[in-house]
Amino acid sequence: MSHNIVTPTSRAAAPERSPRPDDRPRSRRKWYRRAVGKPSLLVYGFLSFVVLASVFPLYWSFLIGSGDSTTVNDPNMSWIPGGNFVQNVQSVVENPNVNFWPALRNSIIVSGVTAASVVFFSTLAGFAFAKMRFRGRKWLLTAVIATTAVPSQLGVVPLFILMSNFGWTGTLGAVIIPGLVTAFGVFWMTQYVGQTIPDEIVESARVDGASSFTTFWRIILPIVRPAATMLALFTFVATWTNFFWPFIVLNPQNPTLPVALKVLQANYFVDYSIILAGAIFATFPLILLFIVAGKQLVSGVMQGALKG
Amino acid sequence: MFPRKKMTALTAIAAAGALGLVLSGCSPDAGNQNGKVQLTLSTFGNFGYTDKLIEQFEAEHPNIDVTHNIAADGEAARSNLFTKLAAGSGLSDVEAIEINWTTELRQYADKFHPVPGEDIAEYGDWVDFQKKPVTTEDGELFAYGVAIGPSAICYRGDLLEAAGLPSAPDEVAALLKGNWKHYFEVGQKFAAGSKDAKWFDSAESIYDATIQQMANPYEKEDGTLIAASNPEVEKAFRETLAVAPELSAGFDQWTDDWYTGMASGDFATMMCPSWMLGLIEGAAPDVKNWNVANVFPNGGGNAGGSYLTVPKQTKHPEEAAQLASWLTAAPQQIEAFKVAGPFPGRVQAFDSPKLPEVTSEYFNGAPTGEIFTERTQAIKDFAFKGPRHAQITAAASSAISRVQSGNQTTDESWKQFVQEIESLK
Amino acid sequence: MSILQERTQQNKKKRSRAARWDVKYSPYIFILPFFILFALVGLFPLAYTAWVSLNEWSLLGGQGDFAGLDNFTSVLNERDFWIALRNTLSIFVIQVVPQLIIATVIAAALDRNLRNATFWRMAVLLPYVMMPVAVALIFSNMFGDRYGLVNNVLGTFGLSPVAWHNDVLASHVAIATMVNFRWTGYAALILLAGMQAIPRDYYEAATIDGAGAFRQFFSITLPQLKPTAIFVVITATIGGLQIFDEALLYDLAGTGGPDKEWLTLTLYLYNLGWRDLDFGRASAVAWLLFLIIVVIGLLNLFISSRISSSQGKRK
Repeated sequence: MSHNIVTPTSRAAAPERSPRPDDRPRSRRKWYRRAVGKPSLLVYGFLSFVVLASVFPLYWSFLIGSGDSTTVNDPNMSWIPGGNFVQNVQSVVENPNVNFWPALRNSIIVSGVTAASVVFFSTLAGFAFAKMRFRGRKWLLTAVIATTAVPSQLGVVPLFILMSNFGWTGTLGAVIIPGLVTAFGVFWMTQYVGQTIPDEIVESARVDGASSFTTFWRIILPIVRPAATMLALFTFVATWTNFFWPFIVLNPQNPTLPVALKVLQANYFVDYSIILAGAIFATFPLILLFIVAGKQLVSGVMQGALKG
Repeated sequence: MFPRKKMTALTAIAAAGALGLVLSGCSPDAGNQNGKVQLTLSTFGNFGYTDKLIEQFEAEHPNIDVTHNIAADGEAARSNLFTKLAAGSGLSDVEAIEINWTTELRQYADKFHPVPGEDIAEYGDWVDFQKKPVTTEDGELFAYGVAIGPSAICYRGDLLEAAGLPSAPDEVAALLKGNWKHYFEVGQKFAAGSKDAKWFDSAESIYDATIQQMANPYEKEDGTLIAASNPEVEKAFRETLAVAPELSAGFDQWTDDWYTGMASGDFATMMCPSWMLGLIEGAAPDVKNWNVANVFPNGGGNAGGSYLTVPKQTKHPEEAAQLASWLTAAPQQIEAFKVAGPFPGRVQAFDSPKLPEVTSEYFNGAPTGEIFTERTQAIKDFAFKGPRHAQITAAASSAISRVQSGNQTTDESWKQFVQEIESLK
Repeated sequence: MSILQERTQQNKKKRSRAARWDVKYSPYIFILPFFILFALVGLFPLAYTAWVSLNEWSLLGGQGDFAGLDNFTSVLNERDFWIALRNTLSIFVIQVVPQLIIATVIAAALDRNLRNATFWRMAVLLPYVMMPVAVALIFSNMFGDRYGLVNNVLGTFGLSPVAWHNDVLASHVAIATMVNFRWTGYAALILLAGMQAIPRDYYEAATIDGAGAFRQFFSITLPQLKPTAIFVVITATIGGLQIFDEALLYDLAGTGGPDKEWLTLTLYLYNLGWRDLDFGRASAVAWLLFLIIVVIGLLNLFISSRISSSQGKRK
């Protein structure tokens, strides 16, 4: 099931668009550079404005989150942060209803397991689809591609009935299991394996007597690491930010971060300084990830969209 | 393009996954520690069950350990309860519910242990309107009444003074004594003298309060739907909206702005079921001028209420029943009222000398124990809530909101409300 | 023949049998986990939704009587369904049009020969890693009716405040803004990739013909970008028809507004299933939502095939 995945990451690739390395001749680019010339200050100014606009809501929340309960209603609010941020964050993490640390732990577990599983199964299937011959291959691959667009909300009711019958509601398994595989992941890895790994490598491995799984483990996995990393990153972010299904199937005693934030909203209905301090603080982990792996996210988005 | 060192991110994620499996494998499991019975209690919002109160129970029942889980809001608690009830497992040994859920839960009363006869023998009875919603066809109770919501009027003394009206609680009570029409008339006097502040918070709360005073506003006991044809309902709807432009601050209840309005002085009075005291104090901790007047338009009214239940899922029905009985016994109800405002529903509590002693510091020392005891005694009728009550209430509040926001006239909105009620049949 | 030789022979045979088995069956084993899991958590729920939608089915009581199409007719007769459909489509349109325009302009700016190109690209993508729930909390505060930042700012310019939570269109604008905050940069990067794939000879020729930068943008970049733009729109459609987080957290009650001003289809589905405890009707909505997505998807395909066939030189 693709609760976590379809909406966000399917934006990363359309059918017939492949994660292909950028192989445009360099010389042409250089020529273009010369023709267009240096970007004007206007361009930098505009981009700076865009960046400001995307950082402003964060700063605004920080302003309120570092004040007290009256800051939000103060029409003459100062544009310099107050000194209560740490204290407000403390009220969030110490609030027994919000369960902040368990939520953080759960989000790491759910997103980590989901990302690892999606990458493993997608690469395995992608290898089979791209480099192995078997009956029904074409048909099965079409089936995979067709399912990438199926909206996840469609299945929540029966999925909930199932989880409920198994007694899994409220457990992390109920969130992890539906995300273990995604059609998009298989599609993405099939494309990548098909285009980056020459048939000869696979052939020669077979001649040397390596089994299919050995070939996959020793040869394919190391080569596809760049694409696998991106898939892992996008799956991780998508799972981390996912709310709908965890909100339905988990309970506030054992939440993921987004579910805990919903509790925070209900809990501190009046004190926006605490709500927004919590919102900002809960965003930190992914911003950290973004600082480390933002480059790869950028190239992932761009490669997902390249015309194949 | 694909520098090799970038694989660290992948490795990190894989490691996180592995770590996750390890972590999830070793979550603590609440077992029988030192031979004591482990009970869990789930409530929401603020029931006033402090750690101290729970410790007192444990001290009196040395064989029982209690873990108290608090959900932030009723909505989350409700979906949690229904979900686990459906799953057949996972509920706490004692689960709190709200009066509004009883219309649905009554059909599934067999999923709860009934209140044993010894409970009432020992701790006394509840007031009528607390018992009725949780009484099954066999005459058994499937829930222990925690609190009721007798209503008074809360007001901002400073705003009344500014408009040239009296502000002492007794004077205000005398001023407002009468029916709804009278309450609106005083409001018009206030409006004439007030600068920006309005008379009340929201047309919805006024309308709701009038509905609560009718015996059968929306449905009859036999299931007949009368919401649209009941002239009293239409009258309440139209009369409230007729005065709203002049008197209402125009908030929708339960919104951010509504809570903020309590702090910023946008309105001078509001309907105050006892549990509202805690909300006002929470929303406007720095305001000094809120007070409570021992009066309510048209006599008395009840809004809301809460209960404890012992689901059949529990492995310790006896101990769970002990906990539920104890928590809802008069002394503990009074204690909880002191802390958080939910008003006792056991008749015994009204005879206790401790109840009249309860006052509220935030509300300028108002004798809240006395006030709400009298408010409870003033309640004559209380609305019967049938299976469609929640949907009708939602439709009505939408209808009022449409007029308040200026999107529709009263006639248009009422017409649409009637149509929506028809579709419920 | 020595024993040793015989054994090697046997081993070889065994190995080649194993190899044949390996070639024949391992592809299926490799794709099996995906298909099994997908069937279990993807396909089966789909089929089961159809079955649930044909029955009376409550969260608490479980399956009830067979209801035929009653759930569908009852949902289709309900005002809330049509309101939710209207809101969903309206939010989608209000969201996607500005997103496409702004993202294109950002992409055009990023397509210049920037210093620190990676920095700018990353900065644009930053909001993507924010949880929609956090975004919704922040923006709901900024769009407060009486005490919100946006209305305060409007006030300082002498403009009257907007009823963000009472006016249908205003609430849609607010929710669309939240969605776009997260996705505009993402769309810009996709469009940027599309721009970079345009053969640069086109620009070379245009420059020789004396066309300026603006002219080039409108007569080369935009037409060439159509396929990518359509892709952006299609993906935005799938996401846009499923908006839930922002609508749920836009106010405290989370029911879609005092008069369902911003009730979306997915929120409606949630309300039916988990607030009214009516799984039968919730499943009916799920199927209707699916049909709507299929119809809009086909419409998208139709339009885009029309556009790409009228655009001969690209292929």
